[in-house]
Amino acid sequence: MNHQRILAVAKREWREIYRDRLFLSLAFVFPITMMLAFAYGLSLDVEDIPIAVLDQDRSELSREYIHRFTDSRYFNFLGYLNHPDEIDELLTTQRIRAAIVIPDHFQSNLQEGRPAPVQHLLDGTFTTRARTTKGYMIAITRAFEKDVVIDFLSQRLGVSPQQVTEQLAPIKVQVRYLYNQAVESSQSLPPRLIVLVLLVASPFLTVVGIVREKENGSIYNMYASNTSREEYLIGKLMPYASIAAINALLLWAIAVWVFQAPFKGSAVLFISATLLYVLCTTVIGLVISVFVRTQVAGVLITAILTIVGGMLYSGVLTPVSMLSEDNQLVCHLLPAMYYTEIVDGVFLRNVGLTVLWPNLLVLAAYTVLLLIVGYAKFTKRPKT
Amino acid sequence: MTFHLWLHRLRVMTRKELLHLGRDTALLLFIIYGFTIDVYMAGAGFPFELRNAPFVLLDNDRSEFSRELAGNFQPPLFQLVADVTVPEMSQNLLDRGKALAELEIPPDFYESLRTGRQTEVRMNISATDNVPALLFTSYAEQIISNYGFETVGMHHSGLSESGITTLPVVDDQLRIWFNANLEDSWFMALVELFTIISILSIMLPAAAFVREKEKGTIEQLRVSPLSPVLIIVPKILSMTMVIIGGTFVSIFFVIQPLFDMPLSGNMPLFFLVTAFYVFSTAGIGIAAASIVRTQGQVAMLVILLIMPMLLLSGSWTPPEAMPDIIRICIIALPLYHYFEAGLGIIFRDAGLGQIWPSVLGLSIIGALAFQFGLWRVQR
Repeated sequence: MNHQRILAVAKREWREIYRDRLFLSLAFVFPITMMLAFAYGLSLDVEDIPIAVLDQDRSELSREYIHRFTDSRYFNFLGYLNHPDEIDELLTTQRIRAAIVIPDHFQSNLQEGRPAPVQHLLDGTFTTRARTTKGYMIAITRAFEKDVVIDFLSQRLGVSPQQVTEQLAPIKVQVRYLYNQAVESSQSLPPRLIVLVLLVASPFLTVVGIVREKENGSIYNMYASNTSREEYLIGKLMPYASIAAINALLLWAIAVWVFQAPFKGSAVLFISATLLYVLCTTVIGLVISVFVRTQVAGVLITAILTIVGGMLYSGVLTPVSMLSEDNQLVCHLLPAMYYTEIVDGVFLRNVGLTVLWPNLLVLAAYTVLLLIVGYAKFTKRPKT
Repeated sequence: MTFHLWLHRLRVMTRKELLHLGRDTALLLFIIYGFTIDVYMAGAGFPFELRNAPFVLLDNDRSEFSRELAGNFQPPLFQLVADVTVPEMSQNLLDRGKALAELEIPPDFYESLRTGRQTEVRMNISATDNVPALLFTSYAEQIISNYGFETVGMHHSGLSESGITTLPVVDDQLRIWFNANLEDSWFMALVELFTIISILSIMLPAAAFVREKEKGTIEQLRVSPLSPVLIIVPKILSMTMVIIGGTFVSIFFVIQPLFDMPLSGNMPLFFLVTAFYVFSTAGIGIAAASIVRTQGQVAMLVILLIMPMLLLSGSWTPPEAMPDIIRICIIALPLYHYFEAGLGIIFRDAGLGQIWPSVLGLSIIGALAFQFGLWRVQR
């Protein structure tokens, strides 16, 4: 390997990027815009669910029951309804996601110790959110019910409510959330977006850089020159990996300073993991480029692989533990998940190399493997 | 120019585009992959439920009751990964992400329950992912409170002797609309299909257009007797045909048979809206392509347009959960309208009467983008 030739290739590539001002600025504008838009606009919390109530009982107890929902941060109470048909209309037009119908005799049933029916209606379109909403509604209802039952029993049995509580609910549960006390995605999402944005942004640069030469034919200069394959590939990758590394730094700064993400772990660990990941994502582009002939194909394949991989199989938006076994396997076969764990580790969990070394190892092995594939498939003697 | 001639030219140019696409094997294979395997995997692999949630048990009591309670945490929801004796060990497992939660049972658990005193179970839950954390909490609380009530509370409260036969419970009947069994596969497969449609419809025409610019073959078209419309429309038309074909295969040969999705909605209307969406999105692609010179530039520009569209159009966060500014901005995203209309037709049996605002939105976006592209080509 000749360092001079590598540098020459890198310099030539850099000059080409630098002179294409639009491309150069987009290479930086893209990640920053994405980070800002998603960290601000995306929320994985199920909160402020728009809800409406049809209260046919209009009693003290029914109002108290409704209050449990309106006081909760999970629901956004949009008002009382007058007619059942309104629910139909509001759910279909998606102005509400949930509704409660409280029929007549709600209060009298409960006061006389009989079960009182209520109806919960839910928009099931967003299945994950609907499931969580269902959980909230059940939890609020059980809490209300518990208080009603305790009141009732303490009156009937003539003992203090305190005593009944101890008898009926003998086990209290104390929950403590670790790493993200408020259980809000605004804490965990901005750092994780670094994973997603880098995964999509970096490979494009390499794909365009290499396939452009293949399509225009300028790569024949290289085929005919004494530059070896490894010198050419390393030289080509250098400017793109550097751009991606600068982007990683910018994304980190946005996550920490603009979105106040906590950074608890070791900076050295994070930087080395990020450099590995940046290299890995850039090399993904290299591998795609050796398999395609046209930029259209290269760009499209990169888009589908990285966007789908980033959204579904990286653990950024979809917790890996909740996927089917097949898809968990897919996650483990792709590099992004390992970096997501590192990001979680240094940002939220405050764990170090002792825990995260296998992830670093996988990222390194992945990068080397991809480099080998790219190198083996890249030939100076094209068939056509 | 006669209409017949115009039609002939349109046909020839569309055929040219289709041939171009058909000869790019790698591209073709990927389009097929996107509409079939990729959609299938998204539908099959994302049932968002707690599954074998790993938890650590720190049982300080080691009694009959504590074992019984822990025994209620069973697969498929829960999975005991370790039965530890010191908190450091469970902390370690939580830190390493090997466990989602720790269940800590106090030393006087048995004694308290036996003598009718209240006791407290502690849970430490890792909340790096909030959905599993909250689901774990809600399932675990249900299990613990049921255990407390049925196994212990019932025997001590004196209910059986008091002659009380019914309790004032709230009998909440749940009715879920539009997807009664909460089949994640329907939603996820459709969202994935919409993603593939979007990526293809913005990228294919844009790339095809810039390629002609970069190679200079657009000059050939400019001097030919083709109007700007006849240069742009065939590119969009050919890709629309491919995408509609792919969507058809995806819905009728993948999603419907493999996930048993009932297609009760007006499917011709769905395909019409899809064609409309592809046309508008392709218009945006062409508009982007008309202001750049190279394929590298168009790739970056298009990806800049597509990513917010995919993530902010409502598939990951519904509009009502977004900040107001973003909620206003997303009206400019065609996928937002397609999402409303497409899911409306399939899930809510909506007709043109309900989805017309979305169709109007799509038309305005498409018309603006198209006009811009035409104006740039004419120059």
